[in-house]
Formats: sequence, C-alpha cells, structure tokens
Amino acid sequence: MQLFWLSVGFGFVTASVLAIAAVGLSLQFGITNYVNFAYGDFMALGGFFAYVLNNQVFHLNIWIALVVGSLGIGVFAVLVNRLILGPFARRFSTSHYVLIVTFGLSLIMLNAAYSIWGAQVRFYNMPIPTAFTVGPLRFTKNQLIVIAIAITLMLAVHTMLRATRLGKSMRAMADNTTLAMTSGIDTKRITTITWFLSGTLAGVAGTVLGISEGNLTPASGELFLFVIFAAVILGGIGSIYGAIGGAILIGLATEISAAFINPAYKLDIAFVILILTLLVRPSGLIARPGTT
Amino acid sequence: MVYYVFTLVFFCFDYFILAMGLNIQYGETGILNFAYIGFVAIGAYFTGVFSLHNPAGTGQHYILGLGLPFPLNLLLGGLATMVFALIVALITLRRLRTDYLAIVLISLSLVLYDFCNNFVSLFNGADGLYNVPEPFAKALGLDVNSFIPFFACVTAVISLLMWFVMSRVTRAPIGRTFRAIRDDEVVAAALGKNVFGMRLKSMLIGSFYAGIGGGLLIQFGGSFNPTAWLPGETFVVFAVVIVGGAGNNIGMFVGALLVETLLIHLPAFLPEIPGHPGLIEYFDNAVVGVVLMVMLWVRPQGVVPARLRRAASFGVSPRSDVEPDLNLAVPAHE
Amino acid sequence: MSETGVLERERRTAPAAALRCEGITKAFQGVHAVNGAAFDVPAEQITALIGPNGAGKTTLVNILSGAMTSDSGREFIGETEVTNWPSYKIARLGLFRTFQLSRELGRLTVLENLLVAPAEQAGDSLVNVLFRPALIRRQERAHAERALDVLDVYGLYRHRDTLARELSGGQKKLLEIARAVMASPTILLLDEPMAGVNPALIDLIGGYIVDLKERGVTVLMVEHNLNVVEQICDYVIVLAEGRTLATGRLSELRENTEVVKAYLGEVIDAGAAH
Repeated sequence: MQLFWLSVGFGFVTASVLAIAAVGLSLQFGITNYVNFAYGDFMALGGFFAYVLNNQVFHLNIWIALVVGSLGIGVFAVLVNRLILGPFARRFSTSHYVLIVTFGLSLIMLNAAYSIWGAQVRFYNMPIPTAFTVGPLRFTKNQLIVIAIAITLMLAVHTMLRATRLGKSMRAMADNTTLAMTSGIDTKRITTITWFLSGTLAGVAGTVLGISEGNLTPASGELFLFVIFAAVILGGIGSIYGAIGGAILIGLATEISAAFINPAYKLDIAFVILILTLLVRPSGLIARPGTT
Repeated sequence: MVYYVFTLVFFCFDYFILAMGLNIQYGETGILNFAYIGFVAIGAYFTGVFSLHNPAGTGQHYILGLGLPFPLNLLLGGLATMVFALIVALITLRRLRTDYLAIVLISLSLVLYDFCNNFVSLFNGADGLYNVPEPFAKALGLDVNSFIPFFACVTAVISLLMWFVMSRVTRAPIGRTFRAIRDDEVVAAALGKNVFGMRLKSMLIGSFYAGIGGGLLIQFGGSFNPTAWLPGETFVVFAVVIVGGAGNNIGMFVGALLVETLLIHLPAFLPEIPGHPGLIEYFDNAVVGVVLMVMLWVRPQGVVPARLRRAASFGVSPRSDVEPDLNLAVPAHE
Repeated sequence: MSETGVLERERRTAPAAALRCEGITKAFQGVHAVNGAAFDVPAEQITALIGPNGAGKTTLVNILSGAMTSDSGREFIGETEVTNWPSYKIARLGLFRTFQLSRELGRLTVLENLLVAPAEQAGDSLVNVLFRPALIRRQERAHAERALDVLDVYGLYRHRDTLARELSGGQKKLLEIARAVMASPTILLLDEPMAGVNPALIDLIGGYIVDLKERGVTVLMVEHNLNVVEQICDYVIVLAEGRTLATGRLSELRENTEVVKAYLGEVIDAGAAH
C-alpha cells in the first residue's frame, strides 16, 4: 500500500510538470491553430539554459536559474515565430507545411543542442533534498516546490484568461481569429505575447522535468512530447482547463501504473490512454465547440 | 575507398525506395505520416528475425528466428510491415484529420522506439539485432568487403523494379484518386470515392516500400538497433521527398541522391573533430533541417516537380479547338 | 458525340419522387439549422429550393448528399432508404452535388478533374493496375474522350490541361457543373449555381440545366435568383427557419401569404418586375 501512496505522490509531481507543459502548448495552439512539434525541444532548451546558469557559467540558485532561463526561452520562442513559423504560416494556407517546418525545427534544435552540449547526461547543482510528509504522501522539498510552481502558474494563467483584457483577447482570438481582428484586437501583439508565454512555460516545464527526473539530456523533452500530447487530447484540444485536467489524470495514471507494471513502460501508458481517448471520445473530456 | 563509394550507392537506392513509399502516402495522398521511420524499423526488425536462426546460444533475444533465405525473408518483412500499417490505420486513419493524425503518428513513433528499446525479448532491446546473415554471401564466396558492391547492385535492381511498379500506380486512375483525396477529400467523397478505403490502400502500399527499404538496411549492414531510427529520422525521409519533388518518382531518386547521399553520408568522409565526438553528424542533421526549410520557402515543388498529365497522354483522338457558343438561348419555359 | 450524348446513360423510367425526405432536423450547439424539413422532389424535373437566408438550405443539401448527418428524419432515393449514408455511397446511387463556393481539385488539370467522376474505374483497384493494364488503358481512353466532349460543351476544352486552381471564378463554376455531369447523375443537387456569376453566364448555365433535365436528370437547385427560378424551374419548395413552408409552382406561391411574409417583399418585387 505504501508503494501505492508513493506512486500517487510521484503522480502529482509528474502531473505538475505535464500541466505546465500542456498549458503552454494549448495556449499557443489556441492562437495559431497548428501544433508546434518542436515544443519538446523548447522544453529541453529551457532545461539547458537553466543548466548553463546553474551549473556551467554563473552558479545561480536553481530556482533563480529556472526563472531566468525560462524567460530566455520565451524570448527565443517569439524570435522563432517572427523569423520562421509566422512567415510560413502566413504564406501557406494549408497548415501541413507549417507542421513539417516545426518538425524540421525540432531536428535543428535537437542537433544544435547536441552540438553545443553533447549527448552526455547533465545534472543540476542542487542541495540534497529533504523529505516531507503530507498525509500518507511523501515528498522531497524539491518536489513540493515543483508542485507549488505548477499550482501558482495555473492560477496565474486562469486569472489572466478570465480577468485581464489580454486574457479576453486571447480567448477571442482562439475562438475566431477573423472576428477578433475586425473587433479591433491587435492580433499581432497577442500572438507575440502568446508565443512568449508558451515558450516561458515550456522552459519552466523542461527545467522542472530535469529537476524531478534528476537528470537532463537534449532529447529529454522530445521523448516526453507524446505524454504532453496525450494530456492535451484527453483534456480536449483547445481547452486550457481540459489540458490541466488531462495532465493530472495522465500524471497519476502513469505513476500509479509503475507500481504494477515494469516501470520502464510507465510513460507508454499515456499512449494507451491517447488511443483509447481517440476511439471512445475523440473530442476529449472538455470539447471546445468548433474544434472537431 | 571503393567500398565507401558503393556504400553511398547502396544508401542512395535504399532511400529511393523509402522515398517512394513516403511519397505515395504524403506526396500523392496527403497523409502526414510522421511515424514513417517506425514502419521502416518494423521492416528491418522482421526481416532480421526471419533471417536469423533460433536465438538460443547466440546471446541475443528475439522473437521468431526462422532462418529463411533471401528474398523470402525480405518479402515477409515487407508483408509484416503492411500488417502493422493495417492495424495502425484501422485505429487512427478513420477518425482523424491531418494535424491530429500527425500528433498520433509521431507519438506512435516515440512509443515504438521506447518499447523496442526496453522490451528486450522482442528485438534484443537497445543492442538490437546483429550477425544477420548476408544474402548469397556464402554461396558466392563473398567476404565482408566484397559483399558491399554486390549488395549495392542488388539493391539498385530491386529499387528499379519497385520504381517500375510505382510509376504504374501513380499514372493509373488510383493515383489520380489519391491526388483528388489529397486536394479535397470532401469533393472526392461527393464523387463516389471511398476516402478511408483509398487512404488505407495508400498506407499499405507505402508501408510495403518502407518495409522493403528497412529489410535491405538490415541485410546490408548485418545489424539494426534503435540508434538507427530515432523519430527524427522520419524527417530525413520527408526532406528527401520534398527536396527531390513530392509527387514525382524521379524526384524521389534525385532527393535520395542529394539528401541522403550527399548531405548525410558524404560528410562521414571528414575526420572526427577531437574532443567532440559526433559533432559532424549533429551539425549535418541540423543542416538537413535548414535545407528543407529553405526548399519549402524557395521552391516547394522540389527539384523535379510533379508531372503535368496532359490530355494527349490518354490516347485520345486529336480534335480542333472549338470556341464556346455564348449565344446559347435559354429555351422558353413551357 | 455518341448516341446517348454526354450522359452516356439510357433514359430510365423514373419513379414519381426521385428524392424524398421527411422530418429532417439538424442542430449545431443547440441552434436548429434544419427543423423538420420534408418534401418530395419530382423525378426528371427542375425543382428549386428557395427561402430566406439562414433557412437551412445549404445544410439540407449537405445532409441530402451525405456530407453531414442529420439528427433525425429519413431520406429516400427512389425506393431505397439512404438516411445518414456517407456521401460516397449516396454518390454511387447516382446523386451528385455541386458546392456553393466552387471546390475544384486544384492541383489536378481540368481534364483530370472530370476523370475522377465516372463510377466505373477499374483503375482504382490495385490488382487491376498490376495485372490488367490494357483494360485500364482502354477505359481511360473512353472516359477521356467523353470528358473532352463534356469540356467542349461547357467551353472548357482549351483549358483541358490547365491546373484547376488557375481557372477564373466563372470557369470554376462551369467546371463544377461539368464534373457533376461527367458522373452521369440521376439526381443532381446544385447549391446556388448562379451565385456570383455574370449575367451572360447565367443564361448559359440555365441552358445547360434545362438540357440536363431533358436528358432525364432530376435537378434540385438552391437558388436565390427568382428570375432564374421562374424561367427554368417546374416546381418550387420553400424553406424557412429550417422547415418546409410550402411547395408548388412559383405563381401559386406568390399568392401564399406565409411565403410572402417569410421573404418580406422579395417575392413581391420579383412578381412586379413581370
């Protein structure tokens, strides 16, 4: 039984990482209407920015490095959209060319990371974690911080979407871009801000992934990508809250399953859930109107 | 040196086959098969376990191990890939539009990779299959080196045969139906085409080519392990198709020559940079990504664009141009 | 041109109602686009489907042709029930449709666009492609000859090798109809065939439609232009707020107060012009 509660604890940690990543992906998909297949590499790059700040160049505290590094990825994402993705999306109305471009971007980013940092595993410079007990669950201090970061970010995103003009403009654009444009919403500005947020969230997700896994390689994000897709599809493509819900469910499911099956396959459970979702309820848990 | 040139020749013709397979799926039918390299791997693995003998005592773990001769092992490898494609298509193809299908397929590719890496008893896990017997090597008395030019020629011949068949397919009405579905599936269905059935056919044909290409890979190299097929490798095949010219089979050869041979394998001539193992390979792969993006921006139809199929090619009787009679009166309504 | 002409089909004796529907409803997120449409489309006649904007006409065409499923109701082609059949199966029974905004197969040539249409395509089967190339070659030549005849009639012959996406708007409209004709339809649903078309072309297309009727095709056309309806349609179905309001000849419907109300003056103006 203790193993079960231990798994539930891990489940919340994984769910936290997933939630941050899934929300970042959903925000960007809602505005641009195409999936960024390089998202996993944005995450990994975020993890490496933090690594550089934490363990290579500046020796900053890991949490400060996380913040600074992630903001850096936010800027990077804006640049990528300005220089590459935006122009392709505007030029080709059939979305699938852009998908190929993001796939190519993924290849470029992955190999650039390999070129700079090599394939060996990297570790963050962090103090040895102390253990905490919360009811039947046991966490390390770092894991609790990760969960706290996730909850804070989710609340921040929720508040932004509901209460700020920016959030309302984003929701309007996600619903109907043309209508939003004619309503006087500065779609270019909103797109830029969305990419910044998406990139930053990816950076945070990649760094906390490295923290919770205990190690980091350039391919870490890519190999995690399908779990994020599973969370987003389970929750319902286009729904931010669905993405959060999907993340919690998938996070718990994968970790709890590790108590019963060979832990090497725990992430593959997410894929099984993805396929089941597509077979049984393809619109996901929270179907957004107009996204079928 | 000679052996290296023939290795390049082999990869050129092998990727020609792989590109034709992806082309029928993506170039002709518009299916974004982001899991393509997974199909290639299935073909390689199955050809491997059809060629190898019983695993006992070899130090490897794998299923089957039937010890079949060439070309039976290769053909069965292709068939196994088709069966795999059938299962995948039945679950995913019917319900998903292009971008969601791409998400699922790339996820499939990642999971398959993960699975083959971990599930050792399937295809020997991270070590992969090795000591795969080289076809005809014993019979012809070939050693490791002289096998290379021999098998490169065998691959060339197979690829030309497969090209001949593929040309027939793309020139035939079935090819036109694929293209119609690619351009507008709603219209194709409105004209009586079973869109799912045709897409399935396209997937099956393409996956057969992927399987044969993969089977040739394992027989050429004698081994095949997960490092050979990271999901990003699918992108290299896309680059071959798009740079060469999607929708044109000759383009597939040109693409294979330009991307696979020149970009990927030629730089292996360059010496390793000390202290940075694999740097040239990483840089190379990144360059492929850049080349593809540039190509999509500057010349999306590729080096050899798809052929225009003129009326004359249907063998119709010649007739003189007739101007439309715009004075056609509307008959009085009774 | 061969004896039976561009349709390559013998004139059949058709049942009284070629196409029939009853109780069709369709809602999108709680809003009913179609709410109880029911009518019989008489065989081998030109029937107009008219009604104010938002009456659900295009949705109904989508449902009848199988591009969309209905929430309830039934549909019959002749004696066969085809309720919620997918569009390709309905097409194989002989019902074809055109689209309001022409949808050409852009990267195919004009001729290839037509060649997709005929029902018998031995060349769609992989087995035939591999083992019976002569049969396919023969069939392709026959289809191509007929297609060129059709292109000739519709004034598109000189564009036979042009990529469809390079045609002008009016030419795309003609291609849309030519492609449907090539399929040898028994029933043809036209979704606003005259929309956005210049007056000379309207007369031309009108002539083509009447010609089709005379060859035995049942035509149901969604149309806003009541002049056209008056000139070529035998029968009219009025749709308003998603349900059948009235059916009959246009002259009778002009007297129908409900129809007049639904149109708020459109019908009166068209009547006054004559």
